[in-house]
Amino acid sequence: MTSYGMVFDVKRCIGCNACTVACKQENSLPDGVFFTRTLSAEVGEFPNVSRTYLPTICNHCEDAPCEKVCPSGATYSRDDGIVMVDGALCIGCGSCAVACPYDMRTKIEETQLTNGLFGEGNLTPFEEQGYTRFECGTFTKCDFCSERVDAGKDPACVATCPTDARVFGDLDNPDSKVSRLIRDRVGRQPLPEKNTRPKVFYID
Amino acid sequence: MANISLKNVLRPGFVGRTFKSGYRFQRYWDTPMATAFFCGESGAGVFIVSMLLNFMPGVILGLLITGVGKTFFHLSHMGVPSKSWRAILRPDRSWISRGLWGIIFFVGFGVIHVISELFGLVPEVLIKPAYFLGLAGAIVVVVYQGFAMSHSTAISLWNTGLMPLSSMLYGLLSGVSMVMALGVLDLYATDESQLLMVTLFQKILLVAVFMTILSLLHGAKHGSKGARQSYELLTSDFLARPFLIGVIGIGTIMPFLLLMFAPVNFLTTLTATVSILFGFYLYRVLIFKAGVMDPILTPADMFGK
Repeated sequence: MTSYGMVFDVKRCIGCNACTVACKQENSLPDGVFFTRTLSAEVGEFPNVSRTYLPTICNHCEDAPCEKVCPSGATYSRDDGIVMVDGALCIGCGSCAVACPYDMRTKIEETQLTNGLFGEGNLTPFEEQGYTRFECGTFTKCDFCSERVDAGKDPACVATCPTDARVFGDLDNPDSKVSRLIRDRVGRQPLPEKNTRPKVFYID
Repeated sequence: MANISLKNVLRPGFVGRTFKSGYRFQRYWDTPMATAFFCGESGAGVFIVSMLLNFMPGVILGLLITGVGKTFFHLSHMGVPSKSWRAILRPDRSWISRGLWGIIFFVGFGVIHVISELFGLVPEVLIKPAYFLGLAGAIVVVVYQGFAMSHSTAISLWNTGLMPLSSMLYGLLSGVSMVMALGVLDLYATDESQLLMVTLFQKILLVAVFMTILSLLHGAKHGSKGARQSYELLTSDFLARPFLIGVIGIGTIMPFLLLMFAPVNFLTTLTATVSILFGFYLYRVLIFKAGVMDPILTPADMFGK
């Protein structure tokens, strides 16, 4: 059985946020909506200070808390482990947003769809065709670019990353690159104490 | 919410919606949701107490608070109100869904009970089932919101069994207090022993609520990073004044002193009820506002560098 997951090599990440831009472009995300973000943090004390980067994305948890609390059945897991949201079924109650420990759910507000990226309601043709996939008042999140995955491609953030800091693949296949990286370089999951069994791993 | 968002960024360690690693507030359940929770718990509480005391004005008040107030504020919170009916679909896994079933039973059978009591229009065979099913629905409504919050692993302050307990205790306390305010003169005149029993129950509930709040704070103080931030927000930061003065002082200590030392009359009972309801509402709002998510570890923390 396929179980898709992602590995972030934090040693390779340079914090360029090309992944963020690629994701916004691929998914036609409105202003203020991000499915992936590269967070930065300053570590150490003057004069020994450095900045580190932490790419974040929906972890497509095996025991997804967002799926468990969804009262309408809008959040569901595919057979390949990708956690999806059906905007047509979402009622916008926000249960998923307060259940997700990784803060990866975003509400689509009406103003975001009507104002557009440049404000004042002047939508570009790109926005006009892209915003049709969203329904106002519903919650949305990353779906690992499921259309691209179904077509045998990597998610847009992975395909764009200039340093190969993001690796996507089948966690159930012991010979896949993600499985080897996790095994050889001891992959760590974010907030493991939350018992959500994330399918995103960090290596250093 | 605007002020809170500003502090969200300004408070040390909090990062708001920036691309930085740090603490974030939960931002999707705000005042309308807190008001809906307040209406649900207080409405179900007054309904339960009134059903047990066979006090019809309280039964009707409970149905109105939940059926109208809670429904209105829930719908004003929902992103897509027209599809809210879909929330009934997953009672097998979601407390929101179970709660909606509870509301349907509570209001539906509660109304049948009122019609039967006031107009006698309900067939004999339905009277007892309506009474018990309405009561069962109200019991679900008085606790389910606490369970919905305690199932959020994201917010450590909420992720505790004390949440459903506080929901139930606050709901019953509000119920007893409203019944007292509505019926104190009636009870005084007709049955003084029942009055004494209800006031004793009210005092016990006040102490239990007070202890539950202290336990919640204690758990947060010794909990995860996010819970500790919530504790500081509620006890020494910008939420401290409304929490300590409003929730604990006006909401629990003041009514307890009133009930212990002031003579039982309409004015005392009304004052105690208003202060209890004020404290409960503030508690609901502030517990939402103090919801902090644990930060995702930086690579330095994660890999011990």
